[in-house]
Amino acid sequence: MNDEIAAPATDRIAIPPETLKMTARDVDVFYGAKQAIEKVSIDIGMDHVTAFIGPSGCGKSTFLRTLNRMNDTIPIARVTGQIELDGENIYDASMDVVQLRARVGMVFQKPNPFPKSIFENVAYGPRIHGLSTSKAELEEIVEKSLVRAGLWDEVKDRLTESGTALSGGQQQRLCIARAIAVDPEVILMDEPCSALDPIATAKIEELIHELRGRYAIVIVTHNMQQAARVSQRTAFFHLGTLVEYGETSDLFTNPQKERTKDYITGRYG
Amino acid sequence: MSLFSLFFLILGLAAIGWITARMRAMRMRPAAPAPRPHSLPGYHGWYVALWLAIPALAFLVLWSILMPGLVEQWVLASPAAQALPAADIQRTAILSEAHALADGSLSAAFNEEARALVPAFQEANSFYGTIGIVATLLLAFAGGGFAFLRVRPDFRARNRVEKLVMWVLLLASLIAILTTVGIVASLLFETIVFFDRISITEFLFGTHWNPQSATAGGDEGSFGAIPLFWGTILIGAIIAMIVAIPLGLMSAVYLTQYARPRVRSIMKPVLEILAGVPTVVYGYFAALTVAPAVRDFAVNILGVSSASSESAIAAGVVMGVMIIPFVSSMADDSLAAVPGAMRDGSLAMGATSSETIKRVLIPAALPGIVGGVLLAVSRAIGETMIVVMAAGLAANLTANPFESVTTVTVQIVQLLTGDQEFNSSKTLAAFALGLVLFIVTLLLNIIALSVVKRFREAYE
Amino acid sequence: MNAAQFPAREPTDWTTDAMQRRIRARYRAEKRFRIYGLFAVLLSAGFLAFLLITMLSSGARGFTQTEIALPVDFAASDIFLEPAQLEGGDRDQLLAGADFQGLAEQTAIDAYGEDGTMLISNGAWLRLREAVADDPELLRREERIWVQASTEVDFAARGADGLHMTDERRAMIDRYAQLEADGNVRRGLSWTFLSSADSSDPTLVGIWGAFKGSLLTMIVTIALAFPVGVLAAVYLEEYAPKNRWTDLIEVSINNLAAVPSIIFGLLGLAVFINTFHLPRSAAIVGGLTLALMTMPVIVIAGRNAIKTVPPSIRDAALGVGASPVQVLTHHVLPLSLPGILTGTIIGMSRALGETAPLLLIGMRAFVPSPPSGFTDAATVLPVQIFLWSDELDPGFVEKTSAAIIVLLVFLLAMNGIAIWLRNKYEQRW
Repeated sequence: MNDEIAAPATDRIAIPPETLKMTARDVDVFYGAKQAIEKVSIDIGMDHVTAFIGPSGCGKSTFLRTLNRMNDTIPIARVTGQIELDGENIYDASMDVVQLRARVGMVFQKPNPFPKSIFENVAYGPRIHGLSTSKAELEEIVEKSLVRAGLWDEVKDRLTESGTALSGGQQQRLCIARAIAVDPEVILMDEPCSALDPIATAKIEELIHELRGRYAIVIVTHNMQQAARVSQRTAFFHLGTLVEYGETSDLFTNPQKERTKDYITGRYG
Repeated sequence: MSLFSLFFLILGLAAIGWITARMRAMRMRPAAPAPRPHSLPGYHGWYVALWLAIPALAFLVLWSILMPGLVEQWVLASPAAQALPAADIQRTAILSEAHALADGSLSAAFNEEARALVPAFQEANSFYGTIGIVATLLLAFAGGGFAFLRVRPDFRARNRVEKLVMWVLLLASLIAILTTVGIVASLLFETIVFFDRISITEFLFGTHWNPQSATAGGDEGSFGAIPLFWGTILIGAIIAMIVAIPLGLMSAVYLTQYARPRVRSIMKPVLEILAGVPTVVYGYFAALTVAPAVRDFAVNILGVSSASSESAIAAGVVMGVMIIPFVSSMADDSLAAVPGAMRDGSLAMGATSSETIKRVLIPAALPGIVGGVLLAVSRAIGETMIVVMAAGLAANLTANPFESVTTVTVQIVQLLTGDQEFNSSKTLAAFALGLVLFIVTLLLNIIALSVVKRFREAYE
Repeated sequence: MNAAQFPAREPTDWTTDAMQRRIRARYRAEKRFRIYGLFAVLLSAGFLAFLLITMLSSGARGFTQTEIALPVDFAASDIFLEPAQLEGGDRDQLLAGADFQGLAEQTAIDAYGEDGTMLISNGAWLRLREAVADDPELLRREERIWVQASTEVDFAARGADGLHMTDERRAMIDRYAQLEADGNVRRGLSWTFLSSADSSDPTLVGIWGAFKGSLLTMIVTIALAFPVGVLAAVYLEEYAPKNRWTDLIEVSINNLAAVPSIIFGLLGLAVFINTFHLPRSAAIVGGLTLALMTMPVIVIAGRNAIKTVPPSIRDAALGVGASPVQVLTHHVLPLSLPGILTGTIIGMSRALGETAPLLLIGMRAFVPSPPSGFTDAATVLPVQIFLWSDELDPGFVEKTSAAIIVLLVFLLAMNGIAIWLRNKYEQRW
């Protein structure tokens, strides 16, 4: 297996500089003394959906959280290496976490709407960041975001109802609307469908298609079919390392590494 | 023999019963094929011991409660008691002195009448004492003997003992109901008598409170309790909460959201000490240190000439400090009950910690916090010592916090201490106030607990 | 889904001046909020520190006393007693009849001038009597006896510190300096304070009486509340069927834990004193009242402790044929005992600091000698603090604070034990 790790995992992907959004180089993440991520280097392009796959506990979610510094909220977590957003190191002292997270939005595994009305949920981000100057503008942002998240038609008559009263799938789309209301450049999705039923999942996947191109989207999933359906590029993580990164169709049909092959053929997972 | 040593005698007898019954049961063990006795010897021992001790001790307790009354009746019926003065207070004093002389705790008499009563006391004591001892011992031997005769191999001693244990357990938990019933009954009973004399509307809506003019002779004082209710609300629900809510809530926010674990592990117990300081200490502190400072501040700096050294604000502020740990621990629990995903969701959008706390965490935890505040209010309005020592007795209806107001609890203490006859309107009024306090705190607690419960369920 | 109907918005430009100003303002708000939080914590802790320091600084002196020497010439006095008389059985009566008070006052006047009686405590003569009782031979000679000095002298010993100065006070301070130079005064730990009971003279008061009252009351409380509380907890947690009755018991217990303590005082007054005619002011009534108040605390703590014992232990014991009571006494109770004890100690420390209900059942009486039994008139530490705080004589201020220190030390010790128990025996399943 040694030869696999030695080879740079990003070999098979060439992202043209003009669509390059985020780059990570030699990223290590430690939880206390335990190393959770080891030497991960990856490029993320603007016009694609990138999927992170791998068995549970492989570090794919941990790595995702380093991309908008959500690991900062865990006191014992420590990140080394370099992660750049448009050429700026996001772990630099001059990088403002508040701006970073506004630019790199996130959708979580379990839908987590705030216990407020649907309108207030979506308006939350624009309000705290001061993105609107008038009530009308705010309403426009909320409507736009809900439309883009494909939720508008379902909730337009009950915007004042609590966000927690929606069904699971609707809640997750509300969370996506909430994320896109601040106009991020990148959206990170951490297993967004794992708590949903198949119909709701299909709706979210369709939504990811719609959003593609407008935002750089990174999705973590343990479901290989989902990765194959929604992504153009796939990165396979195993035991805290990035094993293989390639065009999705390529990676699934013609894996280069033994471990990738074992995983996608179901030898473990 | 005193009833006290009798108690230990019974326990000793029970121990003897336990040992002999156990030995008897051991000896019954059959040598060979006969079926094994149903219960272990120890259970036979317990069976006998319990039969021996419980009826006897129950009688002993009952008797020691009844005896002083019976003795007093005997003494009062004696010829020497005819000379006693009619006035209640003197009479009680002489009686208790005679009592002390009779049992030897006093060696010289101050009142001649008391000396005259001593023989009657001793006579009555020995008469009822003997009855008590004989009856207790009879019960013990009868119970023990009955049980001892039942010790046989096939006797199911374990089941009997365990059944009794169940009854004892049930009885113990019934004491809680008994206490509640006792509280309600004693408050209600006296209150009904009170409302026979003073109309309920005058009590609940009257604005003039002056019970001191009430005497047993029939001259009724004024019992309008509105100034008391207002004073209680001003101190307990307004001033104390103005201090406790921001400090308690912000302390909880800081300790749960910002402080490093080490700081939290030190500061949390420190704040809890505030709740453990006895209220009399707070009261002393309020009266000695805070109240004079508040008065000087009001007179010299604010120019409030009516400022009292028993101001509402001094008592309220100190009470607020006492309440801080209640509010902060309830807020702490409520914040901790908000799912971490909500915090992450807000932070992931680029909200700062304070924005997350103010706009997401506190609104989400609000029901729990409100419940905690209601519990704190109920605690504050029932608090007695701080207001007794630092707030005044004057039943003022004022919104000026530098003036003196009085509270329900202060008046209860005031009405029930010192010399008083049990049936005067004054003492009855104390029970009526107690009933109001009981009902209000009960309602606050029920509302608070149901709010908190629903809040907890929402996040489970 | 027609997301395309909206053109993509221009990405937010974070570098504009307005945006950057806004972000700086948000960070300032963040910092302010954090400082408010820190301020709240520090203010609360500061209040506690202020309270403790105030009590400690004014209370430490309460444990000391100033004594003044009286050169008593018993032989030349008006006390016509012979040492031999005091060997007999009527010693106490003879001593009670002798005018030691007059002797002490006369000696003070002879030794320190016309106003000499001002220098000695009102109870100073008791020291003379005790001295003679200890050593009858004293009656034949002159002896220098140390007696308690008056409050004025005691204050003068403190110097100008913190007191409102009057001419008398200044004069007394000068006088004290003179007495000290002559070796006629001394200061030391007040044995009186630790060994006697209440008095109307602050130089003669002690906390032993109140302490003993507290002890007796707590014995009654724990003897009743602990067994009943534990048994009720066991019943509710282990055996109670789920029905309306047990619901009622639960609701009662939860509400009793939140009922204001003064209501228990009303209950005690109405039931124990007015219905059962138990003696007023006695430790037994105080203990009963506090037991009713403490029991719900123990029940709730006990239930929580029993709940933490995993069901697998019960199943295991039942599986080998243990009866329900055996499961309880062999397994559940031993395992939950530390938790029950912790809750009990916390409930007891609350009872120890409780004042209001005891006022109502008459424990605020002036009790000049320590109670010797459960039915004697008694007072308890917190009530003693309350009574002393009401006294006008300024000498009581430091005695009150000293009593508070004693009470706080006991409470702290009890809570310390509870925390230690919890940490030592806490078991994670």
